[in-house]
Amino acid sequence: MSHLSPVQQRLRVTFGKAGPLKYTSNLDTAKIWERVLRRADLPILYTRGFNTRPRISLAMPLPLGISSECEILEIALREKIELRNQDLREELLAVAPQGLTVGDIVEVDSRAPSLHSLITSAEYRIRFQDGIDRDTLRRRIDDLLERESIIVDRVRRRKRSVMDIRPLILDLRQDADNVLIAHLSVGERGNLRPDQLIEHLGLAGLHYAAHRYKLHLLPE
Amino acid sequence: MRPQSIERQLERHLLQVEKPGRYVGGEYNSVVKDWGRADVKVALAFPDIYDLGMSNLGIMNLYHQLNQQPDMLAERVFSPWLDMEALMRQEGIPLYSLETKHPVSEFDLLGISLPYEQLYTNALNLLDLAGMPVLSRERDARYPLVIAGGHACFNPEPMADFIDAFVIGEGEEIIVEIASAIAKCRGLPRHEQLRHIARIQGMYVPRFYDVEYHADGTVRSISPNEPGIPERVLKRIVITLPKPFTKFIVPNIDTVHNRAPIEIMRGCTRGCRFCHAGMVTRPVRERPVDEIMAAIDEIVRYTGFEEISLLSLSSSDYVWVEQLAEEVNRVYKDAGLSLSLPSLRIESASADLLEKIGGTRRSGFTFAPEAATEKMRDMINKYVPDEQVLQTARDVYSRGWRTIKFYFMIGHPDETLEDVQAIVDLCNLTLREGTKILGKKATLNVGVSTFIPKPHTPFQWAPQDKRANVEEKQRLLKAQMRRGGMHLRWNNIEDSEFEGWLSRGDRRLGRVIRRAWESGCKFDAWGDQHQHRKWLAAFEAFDIDPSFYNFRERGLEEVFPWDHIDVGIHKKFLREDYLMSIKRETRVDCRDKCFACGILPKFAKERSTTEDMAWECPPVTPISERQRARQVAIPVSAIG
Repeated sequence: MSHLSPVQQRLRVTFGKAGPLKYTSNLDTAKIWERVLRRADLPILYTRGFNTRPRISLAMPLPLGISSECEILEIALREKIELRNQDLREELLAVAPQGLTVGDIVEVDSRAPSLHSLITSAEYRIRFQDGIDRDTLRRRIDDLLERESIIVDRVRRRKRSVMDIRPLILDLRQDADNVLIAHLSVGERGNLRPDQLIEHLGLAGLHYAAHRYKLHLLPE
Repeated sequence: MRPQSIERQLERHLLQVEKPGRYVGGEYNSVVKDWGRADVKVALAFPDIYDLGMSNLGIMNLYHQLNQQPDMLAERVFSPWLDMEALMRQEGIPLYSLETKHPVSEFDLLGISLPYEQLYTNALNLLDLAGMPVLSRERDARYPLVIAGGHACFNPEPMADFIDAFVIGEGEEIIVEIASAIAKCRGLPRHEQLRHIARIQGMYVPRFYDVEYHADGTVRSISPNEPGIPERVLKRIVITLPKPFTKFIVPNIDTVHNRAPIEIMRGCTRGCRFCHAGMVTRPVRERPVDEIMAAIDEIVRYTGFEEISLLSLSSSDYVWVEQLAEEVNRVYKDAGLSLSLPSLRIESASADLLEKIGGTRRSGFTFAPEAATEKMRDMINKYVPDEQVLQTARDVYSRGWRTIKFYFMIGHPDETLEDVQAIVDLCNLTLREGTKILGKKATLNVGVSTFIPKPHTPFQWAPQDKRANVEEKQRLLKAQMRRGGMHLRWNNIEDSEFEGWLSRGDRRLGRVIRRAWESGCKFDAWGDQHQHRKWLAAFEAFDIDPSFYNFRERGLEEVFPWDHIDVGIHKKFLREDYLMSIKRETRVDCRDKCFACGILPKFAKERSTTEDMAWECPPVTPISERQRARQVAIPVSAIG
């Protein structure tokens, strides 16, 4: 370890969001975590400067309204702690708000690249609450997948851009319970959200509950 | 509607509204009790959105006091924002509590916090969203009892038509007494229930009082119309401050003041004549340092908040402020915790205090000189010489703070343009000091509010400044405060006028408030939502002249609509202070000399049970001992 780095340990925490926490934005989720870690009395490292902030980061934003079991939090600690996975998990859960779940906690090399750059795609389960029959949903899926390109006009920061979102749909199918399973690109190289997908399926009027259950990473 | 159906509806529709996290609860430290096992159920409402209401310490205190009782539960309610209200009305979702999603109409008691007058229309809207008639007389015992408390309730009259009973004064103890009383008189008609409630010291039930008016519209008399109802309702106080509340609810979304407050002192001894809080929160009670330090420790452990603010009306006057700053500095220097100590006096010592307490984070530096000429300073009884302002600015800027914020007040009727010009000049001099030290990095933010005479203050007789005058004064400020590094903020004139009507309003305003709300007024505290023309139309509809309430100088012997509300201060003391103001005479801090405002005789029994240091008022010896002393010593006055 470099003697210049104040980071004594880096932890990667897998966590989930459910219930009321679905309505908490990414920025506010980081704040929730900051306070959970402080309540658990973990030796978190703070940034230097006028307005100090804890050095924690969330790997990949989760759109508002979607539950998840696969979110990742990275924490930099100023003191090394004995990592007995189960104990720490219990400690965090004991001070977590309703809807926050904690999965694996692993230590990572302090020189490892940030997770954000490694995540490429995510898998979602989308359950339609109004009910849509199997055939209709299958037809919509097939129609969309058959298209070679899906060109959309996007206006971002006053700049108009035309892009093809078809390559961002990696997989799309329905399971035995008529739940839509979608594997979509996320991150800087191209991002497609479940609500955008549903719009392209022509199902925007339906009520649904979306759940993210897996993030795909480039090999480190 | 059942809680489950409300939850289903929310699940279905919430993503259609802005910041849905406002409407779901589930925060850490929120208290969810078993609905079926609670005997008394209380909904505590703040009539503005979650983002604001969550910062209200009063609501949190009451929430805690009630939920501590094994047989009671308290849950939170806030105003839905416009988009959510539209959704609720469209889908038939009634106003519900955040904890268990029960409709408000199923609670036994609805307590509405009314700290300021701009919330009145929202309070009516809450009742309506809860599916309840807004008029108190139209609600029988099937509906929850509706009470209100908070600083605006020291003049409860404008809201008398809508609220069943008002808490006058401090709520920490009385709230549990009210809840217990409700349990005891369940099943009785509403009128009977209110008789029970009116017996609790500090409770005001408007329907038990009749108001008569003179032909000119002023009040002739206010008198009880039932046996056993007191002529005047004395405010409720807690003899010593209860232990600070520390298990704050930690919001899941960002809020306006996303931090934990600790009240270090209640009340203020300065006697600034415009200050409503300074008059109605007497006597001054302070917390010991160790109690505050223990509270900080608990807050960090229980909530994880990174910011704590130490609240009082005048922090520099807190007797142990130095010791507190040193303790905070010793314990929390490198803990990543930010503490703020607002309301500091304009003096060099303040920079030292903030440097100690601020730790690694530094919140801004805010001072309130209020006025910039000797004349105005004397009139409002807040004396801070220019040189002291400038020296403090030098101390602050030279320690590396780049921004100072000043609060001034314009709009006293005897204020001239020269007095306003002096504000500009003082700000220029202040910023010049900053520029000498920090160059162009120095900034000065100047907030200039418009004076609104408040009930129970020495200025309750004074007229509010006329629109044309305020416009001229604001024009002067806007034209001259344009230097780089200086930022001016001011109050909207219509907002001030509106606040003026309601502040010193009487019962007849009930009709106006109702009409304004019916015509769509709500969120009046939000500048862009306040619909002044609709308010004027509501006044016109009942042929009431709004200027009667704010632009009229009141006669010295006039009976005020709030005279039956006793805040513990003699009216003759306030009158004397008002006349002193006109003569530009000042009073010193009442720590140095007791001016017999009235608090001590009103609360002599309470004071005789406290330690000397617990209140800032002089100690009171028990009557028996005083009588003994009188037999020995001849009073000085009898000799002269």
